[in-house]
Amino acid sequence: MAEIRLELIEKIEGEAQVRYHYEEGQVTFAEILFLNSRHIERILRGRDPLDALSINPRVCGICGHAHLIATVRALEGCFEGLRISDKARNIRELTLSLELLQNHFKWFYLTILPLLELEAPLERALEPARVAGEMIALLAGQYPHTSYALPGGICGEITPVDLLEFRHRLRRLQTLFRRYIVDVELEAFVHCERIEEMLGKSGDLPKAMRRILDRGWERLGQSHDRFIVFGEGLFHPGKSVGTRLREHLDLRYVREEIVPGTQARKVAYRDRPYETGPLARAMVMKTPLVKEAHRRYRDSLFTRILARICEIPRLIGYLDRLLKEIDLAQEAWIDPGSFPSEAEGTGIVEAARGSLIHRVSIREGRIREYEIITPTQWNLGNGTPEDPGVAQQALIGLRREDPTELVFKSFDVCSVCTTH
Amino acid sequence: MRLLWLSALACNGNAHTLLNYPDFERWQEGFEWLYHPLLPSTHTLLEVEEGIDGVEVLIVEGTLEEGMIKNSIPLQYLLERYASQAKWILTVGTCATFGGIFARGGEDRNGVHFSGGERLEEFAEFWEKSISLPGCPVQPEILAGTLSLLKEASPLPLDRMHRPKYFYAYTVHDGCTRNEYFEYKIDEHRFGRLEGCMFYEHGCQGTFTHGSCNKILWNGVNSKTRAGQPCMGCTEPTFPREGLWRTPKHMGIPARMPLGVPRRAYLSLAGIAKAFNIERFHRPLLEDEDG
Repeated sequence: MAEIRLELIEKIEGEAQVRYHYEEGQVTFAEILFLNSRHIERILRGRDPLDALSINPRVCGICGHAHLIATVRALEGCFEGLRISDKARNIRELTLSLELLQNHFKWFYLTILPLLELEAPLERALEPARVAGEMIALLAGQYPHTSYALPGGICGEITPVDLLEFRHRLRRLQTLFRRYIVDVELEAFVHCERIEEMLGKSGDLPKAMRRILDRGWERLGQSHDRFIVFGEGLFHPGKSVGTRLREHLDLRYVREEIVPGTQARKVAYRDRPYETGPLARAMVMKTPLVKEAHRRYRDSLFTRILARICEIPRLIGYLDRLLKEIDLAQEAWIDPGSFPSEAEGTGIVEAARGSLIHRVSIREGRIREYEIITPTQWNLGNGTPEDPGVAQQALIGLRREDPTELVFKSFDVCSVCTTH
Repeated sequence: MRLLWLSALACNGNAHTLLNYPDFERWQEGFEWLYHPLLPSTHTLLEVEEGIDGVEVLIVEGTLEEGMIKNSIPLQYLLERYASQAKWILTVGTCATFGGIFARGGEDRNGVHFSGGERLEEFAEFWEKSISLPGCPVQPEILAGTLSLLKEASPLPLDRMHRPKYFYAYTVHDGCTRNEYFEYKIDEHRFGRLEGCMFYEHGCQGTFTHGSCNKILWNGVNSKTRAGQPCMGCTEPTFPREGLWRTPKHMGIPARMPLGVPRRAYLSLAGIAKAFNIERFHRPLLEDEDG
């Protein structure tokens, strides 16, 4: 018998409603609705281009730094042949990577563990997030909502003392990862390819993954098995359909579309939905443990949750490498000259939840149009029953007793980013 | 003390920044979250919509919008219900206090008691028990500190906009490591440097913005202005001003004066300070002293 159930999903940086359509106890379709939008793109229109540096971090309280970096890249794209120093680029990579780290810790402990009915002290979410915030603030002044990156580099100058303090806290993050998440050498974990080996360690990650297996949920939440990654830095751009990888992407094929009844626009590449985020990144860069999980359980909630946590040791390793590369003798900021009065630019960033795209066009020295395409729009966009979006496909087929909320939240949903 | 956190049109930045309060876990033992948008709470949002009792402090984050539906009922209705119940109302962040950035994104958007600097009538009956904690976001020490003082029933002197003076009687300029460049009127500033003051060219509003950013350091370690970023005046009713990265000028002199300083006094002092042309301020801080 057909039946419709409306569910409020909360604590996803705001809320969403999911309207489940059931037939004979099974989800046949799910509409994902976001009720409110702040219309940030409208706020930017007509303003001085540099104002976007200050306004855009306010898209989101947990991934606002990614919005800053996407903004500065879009603005830098407006200048001809502008090159920033390697130092400035590396410092931006440091702060951006730390935002991903704090996000992943918070999501795992505040969102996922409670849904698995596992308890952990609050400090396991907050202590690493706080340390990551301090590290960003050392270089960028504050976290959240700094605007320290501007066309040409970064606002201030970094001294060896700042890096000392930074390195000191990086050691702390490494310790916390081993103490809380999984007790294994970080480098070994990055190369680990056996699920059983991970499950055999102590820590909250093996505990969570064992719980998913015990409940028999490891195959739930499979979607289209199509992945896309636009950004660079630690990650590689490319798209993967199953395990078939294509590295070439063309931004001209990315299209946003208004969907009636919700404030969230959907986005597609060549008219097809793709999943973005840690699972997509792991598939494109072939992270061994995630590949193995995918071989067994495809793009299920098991693989998706594992993929996000697997980014933490990679990010920590990346921070280590960047620190060694930074040459403080280089310029922190190179004067790009005055802002062109007519120009267009695009900025792409791998944010915590996936590829984030900003596009700006400047006319008469002012912002004429600004477009923000967030990762959650890729994952949470609404399709039709014939052509469902990524999260929708993951929900279809679930039974009444299945953990629909866990499947939904395995995407690390951000309501405020989705509607912005 | 029982706290209820309600979000209007928000980025969640205030909810997140509170978690950065040092040793937050221990601090919150003295409080109960009836609802918080991130933390484990006594009630679900649906229960809050249906109606709960015992709210002592109502915390509001985000810009209000006429007719905004939270899930199934208007947010305005929730605000009225819980504002009547609560002993105190905290408007947290500049959006909930003055309207802030998101007020620029649509019609009929404002803070709880203010639209910019203008007082509103709608919730006027709750004004006496309201406390304004602007900032984009608010510093965690300000929110946690205000709640702790309320809990202890300590006196909490407020300014005319109901901002606690302990935190907002200062300006962001107080404690900035670039202060000497301001005092001695060294008006050249270049980004990417330790030296220089952003007041003259790059829009810094620190000298006339109420806040503790350079007194209570962000994340315990730094501040925007120390890191070379102009203060954007994010605690003020005028936030976000147009042209945040440029200093508006009047006859070649910054149009806005430091808080309470008459233009004539500023010009006299500036003339004298400039006349001395002290060499130290024109040399890089880390330069070799023999060089």
